[in-house]
Amino acid sequence: MIFLQLLINALSLGSFYALVAFGFALIFGVTHAFNLAHGELILLGGYLAYFLVKYWQLPFIWTLPVCMLGLTMAAVLLQKLLQQVQPPYELNTLVVTFGLALVLQNVMLILFSANYRLIPSVELPFELTKFALNITEAQVMDIVVSLVATISLHLLLRKTFLGKALRATIQNREAAKLVGIHVRRMSLIAFLLGGALIGLAGPLYARTAYLQPAGGTEPTLIAIVITIFAGVGRTRGILLGGWVLGVAESLSVYLLGSGWRELVSAVLLILLLILQPQGLLPQRARWLG
Amino acid sequence: MAAQRSKAISSLANRPLWTCLAVLIVLTPILWRGPMPWLPTAAAGGAIRIGEVDPLTGKLANHGQEIHEGILYAVNEVNAQGGLAGLKVELISRDDQSQPEVAINQTEDLLYREKVLGLVGGYVDSLVGPVSELAAKHRTPYVASASLQSRLTQGRDNAYFFRVAHLKGIVEPLCRFVVEVLQPRRVSILYANTPGSTELGAEVRACLEKANIEVPIFEKFRSGLPDFSTFLLKLRQARVDTLISGGFFADHLVLVRQLKEQNVPLRAYLGPWGIAYPEFIETMGAASEGLLGMCAWNPDITLPGTEVESRNFVERFAAAFGKTPNTTNMHGYVSAKALLLAIAAVLKSGHELTGENIAKELRTVNLVTPMEHLAFDENGDPQHYRQTVVQIQKGRLVAIYPPDRASAGFMAPSGP
Amino acid sequence: MQVADEVQTPRYYETAPAGFSMTMRPLPASTFLYAAAVILLITWPFWGGSEGIYCRVMAMAFFYGALAYAWNLYSLTGCISLGHAAFFGLGAYGSGLASHYLGISPYWTVWIGGFLGALYGILWSVLFRKLRGARLGLATLASVEIPKVIVDNWDSFTFGSLGLVGIASLPGLNFAGLTVAFKDNFRTQYYLLLCTLTAIGMIHWLFIQSRWGWAARAVREEETAASMLGVNVAWTRGCALALSAFLTGVCGGVYAHLIGLIEPSMVFSLHISALPLVLSIFGGRYQTLGPVLGALILYPLDQLVFRSIFPVGHAFLYGLVIITTLIFFPNGVAGWLQQRVKIS
Repeated sequence: MIFLQLLINALSLGSFYALVAFGFALIFGVTHAFNLAHGELILLGGYLAYFLVKYWQLPFIWTLPVCMLGLTMAAVLLQKLLQQVQPPYELNTLVVTFGLALVLQNVMLILFSANYRLIPSVELPFELTKFALNITEAQVMDIVVSLVATISLHLLLRKTFLGKALRATIQNREAAKLVGIHVRRMSLIAFLLGGALIGLAGPLYARTAYLQPAGGTEPTLIAIVITIFAGVGRTRGILLGGWVLGVAESLSVYLLGSGWRELVSAVLLILLLILQPQGLLPQRARWLG
Repeated sequence: MAAQRSKAISSLANRPLWTCLAVLIVLTPILWRGPMPWLPTAAAGGAIRIGEVDPLTGKLANHGQEIHEGILYAVNEVNAQGGLAGLKVELISRDDQSQPEVAINQTEDLLYREKVLGLVGGYVDSLVGPVSELAAKHRTPYVASASLQSRLTQGRDNAYFFRVAHLKGIVEPLCRFVVEVLQPRRVSILYANTPGSTELGAEVRACLEKANIEVPIFEKFRSGLPDFSTFLLKLRQARVDTLISGGFFADHLVLVRQLKEQNVPLRAYLGPWGIAYPEFIETMGAASEGLLGMCAWNPDITLPGTEVESRNFVERFAAAFGKTPNTTNMHGYVSAKALLLAIAAVLKSGHELTGENIAKELRTVNLVTPMEHLAFDENGDPQHYRQTVVQIQKGRLVAIYPPDRASAGFMAPSGP
Repeated sequence: MQVADEVQTPRYYETAPAGFSMTMRPLPASTFLYAAAVILLITWPFWGGSEGIYCRVMAMAFFYGALAYAWNLYSLTGCISLGHAAFFGLGAYGSGLASHYLGISPYWTVWIGGFLGALYGILWSVLFRKLRGARLGLATLASVEIPKVIVDNWDSFTFGSLGLVGIASLPGLNFAGLTVAFKDNFRTQYYLLLCTLTAIGMIHWLFIQSRWGWAARAVREEETAASMLGVNVAWTRGCALALSAFLTGVCGGVYAHLIGLIEPSMVFSLHISALPLVLSIFGGRYQTLGPVLGALILYPLDQLVFRSIFPVGHAFLYGLVIITTLIFFPNGVAGWLQQRVKIS
């Protein structure tokens, strides 16, 4: 069935978008640091995975933990940098990370040259001939990984004490300080987790799309869109937001043609922002225990 | 902080005395690059200076650098043979960052401050156009390496603009190939939102419709799109058997991969840009088998009679740059060679080395290169530029059309 | 209610806009420095770089300074817009298409471009009036796509991806028999852009000075309190945005006629949205001279100095400069300079 196939494609695309957005959303939610160098960090993770696969013949699945580790370290460095930034925090981090994005882009250009690279995925798709559907391993991986990431994040945030502290910081930084939460440490943890999530997205980005030093703006934009789409600090909303975006884009390409894709996404986003500024999921009552 | 604030409050009118001073101090080293009488003028003091403006950074970086390498190779080749009439050739390269206003700035610098004798290079028409206008104003010849659109030569009276490639040289062979060899039932055309690709798409569609071939899907996409799966779904539904994709290297990477993943039954996938590169085969691996592309030259695909020159080029280029040259390198090489040849002719004839004379010599250039038999017409277009259609067979690029350049036939994909 | 060490940086209420003084004072020495700088800039093409590139780079620096001023008008109300490229592009296309189809002189069509920009800005004000902060930024970012995709796909009218080429350049002006040509003449373009910068800078300064400017400041500092005081928040923001959009559109029109060709991806680009932002914040958002300082320092630095040190990867230095400046001078260069002023 055509529409089922369309749905699968849209969902896997949406999961991919959500993966790209996770790290950004967590960091932005907890620390309000607007990280415009997000895409470049994903590319770094991607390049790391690419070299691991190409020169050390590491099986793809193992690149994920390695990149997560690597990007966690990079994220800590980023946090140290952003700690130096003074208020107004949101705006200044935006500009500082803009500069950082330029720096990283050119460092990658010098180190890796402008050639395109990608991690090939050569496996043939699984064919569900009964329904005339195709689904590839990459698509499955995207969906599964994003689901796992969402569930883990959700469990972390809802079921652990650390998660509670993080949520408190997201909701109201001042009040969190008042109740004794070590806000600085929360920021560090947010960056660590965010870095791990970026490291998760890097190899998958290299496989689903391609790597080019100047290609960091796309993932950054996707991350920003989905974070705000989902509402700041709502992790399940990110996956849902990714899916909604994926479905919207696929539908618009199908019905209107590829040239109108961005317009539809933009209109959808604006409508959502105007009508439901707190994000896709309904706002829970504030004092829910 | 509070003390500072009260101090500041009481100062009422805060004349930023230091602001002006700081501005002057910072700006002075930037601004004081005033008249420099010690700058050498072109060809005086023993060097022939030519300028190059290419996108060395930014989105088009890898193509710009390839053209740069080709030009550099040409200059080094000439210098290794003793230069032009004993004078060394100096290449001044500038980066236009893939932005027109930077291209304009850098061109002006090359023309007015560095006083180059000729310009070469350039990748897309939005960058080449402004450069060509400036060059004409300054009466300096400009040989563009990779300009394609017709608007740069039609209806414009620019005696100083020349180029070694044009879109007609791609569209004509493409169209004839599709009509004569492929004979498809339905063709779909996908083009990128750049001017060159848009024009290609429009021209190819017009040509195919004239030959009564149906084009059910004609779509524009924005380069950088990581997902074509919905588009491919539409292709499958429309039962198209040939896809002409006016995207670039990166787009093919994603599109072809998704094509294979979705198992879309296509008889032919043709990408005029980006496919006919050994790197493409290397990056894509087995998935590139059977794809069609177009190129003006490749290490094994060269103008009949130029095999020796082509081999020498490949060997020496690989020795100099550590990699096999591709068609973009060759475009840079040919454009630089044409310019240098014209300068050499002017020197030999004993006329003054001015832009007008070089341009006049360029008009009469008749150079056989591995890429084409180079001769410019009155608009500056190359008269004999025709690309060949190639197919990736068993991991190598094989020319399959036109028949006089073909070394193999078109292999339709086997299987269901 | 503010927790002690989270207090925001001292508000420069006392950073009275130049000229504001409550008492009569003799003309401070810095006026002469101002005058010197102005004379310097005016006579620059004659004694400084006589070659085109210096004129050109400084001219473009003026242009981006004007753009930064236009952007800053909106940021003075506390709203950071990431989508000013929409106005720029609309202005460029409006002006270009008007001169292409109607054959009117570019001196009239740039205003058409500005008007188009202002219309879109008004639309923004109406649609986005409830949004703040990051959400507003995102909405503005998204709203660049709408005119961009429409222009890109409306082939029959706007030539779509092929771009608009051969736009008429600014025709020469006649001053009492003396013709001043603008096409291909760097010096006249330099002065033209200097005048544009001065004009927009004056508007910016007047805005800060006026009641409107004070209202904007109030809205920026504390919106709720401002509305309690009777400031019409939506109206203030809306007017600032309309003006900002108008000026950005005019700049877009000027750009179209200067460069002679425009494409959707060129004029609706993220680069155009980001550059005035970076320049303004680098130079200091709340200072009168902030945006222009940012433009005059950063842009020529990148184009002339960095480019020759690091032909490939010069943007690396550019990024480093931005990072270090923001960390050490969070209120921008002009803000830092203000802080250092002794009572003079």
